[in-house]
Amino acid sequence: MTTVTGKAEVRRRLPPGRFGVLRKIWEHRADYAYVLPAIAVMLVVIAYPIYYTIELSFFKTPPGLQLRDKTFIGFGNYTAILTSDVFWRVTWNTVIWTIGSTFISFVLGFAAALALHRDFVGRGVLRAILIIPWVISAVAASYIWKWIYHSDFGIIGAVLVGLGLADRPPNFIDNVSTVLPSLIVVNIWREFPFAMIMMMAGLQTVPDQLLRAAEVDGANAWQRFWHVTFPHLRNVSTVTILLLAVANFNSFIIPWIMTGGGPSNASHIWITHIYELAFGRQRWGVASAYSVLLFLILMTLGYFYVRALSGNDRKEGSP
Amino acid sequence: MSTIAETASRAQTRRRVRVDGWRWGGRIFLVFMLLYTAVPMIWMLITSIKSGFAATQFPPQWWPDEPTLASYQKLLDPQNSVGQDFLRFFWNSLFVSTATTILSVIVAVPAAYAFSRFSFPGRNFLFFTVLLRNMFPAVIFLVPLFILMRAIGLVNTHGSLILTYLTFGLPLAIWLLKGFYDNIPVQLEQAARIDGATRFQAFILIVMPLSTPGIIATAIYSFIGAWNEYIYAYTFLSKNEQLTLPVGIQRFFSENTTDFPGLMAASFMMSVPVVVLFLVLQRYFVRALTEGAVKH
Repeated sequence: MTTVTGKAEVRRRLPPGRFGVLRKIWEHRADYAYVLPAIAVMLVVIAYPIYYTIELSFFKTPPGLQLRDKTFIGFGNYTAILTSDVFWRVTWNTVIWTIGSTFISFVLGFAAALALHRDFVGRGVLRAILIIPWVISAVAASYIWKWIYHSDFGIIGAVLVGLGLADRPPNFIDNVSTVLPSLIVVNIWREFPFAMIMMMAGLQTVPDQLLRAAEVDGANAWQRFWHVTFPHLRNVSTVTILLLAVANFNSFIIPWIMTGGGPSNASHIWITHIYELAFGRQRWGVASAYSVLLFLILMTLGYFYVRALSGNDRKEGSP
Repeated sequence: MSTIAETASRAQTRRRVRVDGWRWGGRIFLVFMLLYTAVPMIWMLITSIKSGFAATQFPPQWWPDEPTLASYQKLLDPQNSVGQDFLRFFWNSLFVSTATTILSVIVAVPAAYAFSRFSFPGRNFLFFTVLLRNMFPAVIFLVPLFILMRAIGLVNTHGSLILTYLTFGLPLAIWLLKGFYDNIPVQLEQAARIDGATRFQAFILIVMPLSTPGIIATAIYSFIGAWNEYIYAYTFLSKNEQLTLPVGIQRFFSENTTDFPGLMAASFMMSVPVVVLFLVLQRYFVRALTEGAVKH
């Protein structure tokens, strides 16, 4: 309970009447003014679109945005999706993309945070350089890497040929079997700094005394990490992993600009697929049904996210 | 006594041997990460000072035989059409990002303060609703928002982007700032109010200055997010003179895909403002994350 002022204290001590909740809302009416702008914007830009998407997912829609001519078809769009081959292909890609990017970004970011934790000459500069990919736009990143992977003039191909590891530059992103890993490398390049910043912040909260005590007790570096540092970072880690997972699940720009989902759907993930269905092929109904399915998955992830966050709060003792 | 000292010193020697292994591992790892991070950026810079001919050689010229700033001159010259477009995109991005940033701070500060200080019914529900916004991809909102924007006449205006960007900066902004306000002792405000300040005055004079790092972090986050946003700008804007940089560059270079030096120069110049801004203000950002997000 956060105590605010004497007045609020008195207010709270009044016995709750029959209309306890309404009365409380009325008494706190001034407080809502502070959150009103935020909530109003959210309602317009979030609640309405969600409602509209759910509605549209039950309709067959004509191409173009002449949505007055839509016809109700119940769960038709959903059955069409779940029985198509593309759906399973794209879902599998999404799983690999999300888990691969999240796991590797987190491990690299965490390791970098640990390596940067001890002070040394040039630490600040190194840290700044490692963070830059996270700041620059994904569009720029996509173009930079597209150029690096270029099948004729790319630098990686040239290095491989120069070292005698390949006869001619390999084709990274026009090849069904290498395209997804190649894009994941780009995604991790942009994302590990976020994990690094979060874990650096987390590391600062690990009490030094505990580490020193463990040291005196004869714990080696690994034991100190595993038994002292890591348990302290459990909450930050959970939040970081969840945020990364959600961001990866929702990513669009890198696959869209680098490959547009090709070749033959090998780099399509859910979001790029939905975008293509809606804005490319103008199948709004099917795209909406996809969005609703996506929404359900995200709500499940969101449940864990909120639980991780409120777990943090409860430990403090204040809601 | 002596045995304790002995054990401690033995532990210390043992530790030194092990730690050195870890430390070398850490150094090698950092060198690897530095290469992974920096090589693509360096290659972007080197390519941007090549001529179109020099860029398309195999094996590549590791350093151009004749370095040239022609690509940059072309992009920054208001006389030719490429330069005109690029400078207009740049200005559009700057306008949209700045407006988004200012509005985000104005909306997020009171909301975060209320979530931190007041306990009104529905507070937790509203707070988590705001946070959940982070969960949803832009694509879900695209079609309905496009229709909504068309209904209120905002399609093809920067207003549609500013309104949309506002919402995805807000959740993290509110979350970070709430953490800050949680850490500012209520007693400070109470003291001010006993001295006769109104709640608003106490907020402006006491709380705001103490939360400056949080506000700066929030502002950076909103600015970078708006500057780099692609998918809404790609969908909402169709007039060439309205485009922001990410979409403008994409449209521009999908027409002449072989001009890699030009593309790299444009990518570099698009990155400069946000990278500089971030590097100058990064300590606030890391501090805000530590105090706001992690410690809670």
